[in-house]
Parts: sequence; structure tokens; C-alpha cells
Amino acid sequence: MAMTESKEKGIIILAVDGNLDADGTLAMEEKVLALLEGGATQLLFDFSGLDYINSSGLRVLVLSYQRLKKVSGKVAICGVKDYIQEVFEVSGYDKIFSLYAERADALSGM
Amino acid sequence: MADNSVSFRMTNKQNCFKCFQPKVEEFGAAHDLPTKAIFHLTLSLDELVTNIISYGYADYDEHPIDVTISLSDDVITIRIEDDSEPFNIFEAPEPTFDVPLEDRESLGGMGIHLVKNMVDEIDYKREDGKNILLLKKKICEKCCPADG
Repeated sequence: MAMTESKEKGIIILAVDGNLDADGTLAMEEKVLALLEGGATQLLFDFSGLDYINSSGLRVLVLSYQRLKKVSGKVAICGVKDYIQEVFEVSGYDKIFSLYAERADALSGM
Repeated sequence: MADNSVSFRMTNKQNCFKCFQPKVEEFGAAHDLPTKAIFHLTLSLDELVTNIISYGYADYDEHPIDVTISLSDDVITIRIEDDSEPFNIFEAPEPTFDVPLEDRESLGGMGIHLVKNMVDEIDYKREDGKNILLLKKKICEKCCPADG
């Protein structure tokens, strides 16, 4: 798993590549908590390079959603592969997160 | 022709994902399984084994977790056998879908909910102090497009 952080139009973009297995999820959780504690209010997860996620990975996304909701912040996700999109649908999280096909769509839609 | 079945033993003290993921990938490649099916199998094993390791043992000892993956007539079967506390997947609580996400205090149950949706058939039995779980998944191009 590899993470790349960038910032565009005031939105913090976290690109996550590879597998969000237990180790990867822990690393992402630490990163997300640090970003939230650093005052981030608009967070975009770019999952175009993501190959794997499980319920623990989803939990980190929900955590950021719950935290940002309280401060009227926003969290969105872009670029998920279709088999990962299915996980969002089965969990019902597709109704909560704004899911965009491309990063550019997310940046203009958030 | 690739072997139609693969068996391996892990323990609750190992990083199990790193044990089984290559085996599922290898089995999938040998049998030309669709990417989506390989993902479903990996995710199901991940959620179930994580569950066993996180909640299954009352002691701190090392315990075996035995897995067999087999393919017969376009049906993949995963068998998981462990000596953890009895865990009947059918009695596991479902996520609290009726509570809005921002108010949900517990996010539990989602892993098992995903598993139930990733496979076509589940059988559970408790035998000789062991949990034996059988997951069956039908493989077909229509339900799992190769590029999916």
C-alpha cells in the first residue's frame, strides 16, 4: 500500500494505491486521524489505484465521515474499481459517500 | 491441468492475509477465475479469519486455522476449520442499517454482512469442538465478467 497526499482547491486528496489489508488500513487510519487533527475539513480519497479493501478499511472512511459531518466538512471518494464499488453498495455506504468516477469530477463536485 | 484443490494451515499468531492472499491469487490464476470472483473469495476469507482471530479465543495460545479451496463444476468451495469458540455465522448480528451513519455507535457486523453477499451458499456446523464453515460460490462469466 502506498499513499500520496496533495491539495487542490482547498481539498486534501489522499491517493491510496495497492491493498488496504490490516497493515494498510492501520497506516491509512493514522494518516486520516492526523489530517483531521490538523484541521482538514474537505477530504477526497482517490482510490483509482486501490486493489483491495475490507470492512476495516470501510470503517476508516466512516470514521472520517462521522468526524467531518460534525464540523460541516465533506468527504468524497473517486476512481473506485467496479468490484470495489460493489462493496460500497452492499454495505449501503454508496448512499452516504459521494462517489465520483474521476478526480476532476470530485474536485468540481465537492 | 491445475490441481482442483489447495489446502493450507495458518495460525492465529500469523499475519493471515499475507498467507492466504497469494494462495487465492495463485488458485484463481491457475483456473482462470474472474478478477471479481478472486476479490470476493479473498474478502470472504479475510473477514472470517479476522473475526476468528479477533474474537474467537479465550486464551493466548497458538491455534491452527485450516483452509481448503476447491473448484468443481464451476463452483468454488472454501472450507474453514478452526477450534475457536463456537461462532454460528447465521446468528451473527447484522449492521444497524436503520440508524443513520452519523449516529451509529457501532459499525460491527459489516464484515459478516459482506461475506453473506459475496457467496451463494453458506453451511455451518460445530463438530468435535471445531467450527466448520463451507462457503460456495458459483463462477460464471455472466455474473462475474472477466474484466470486472
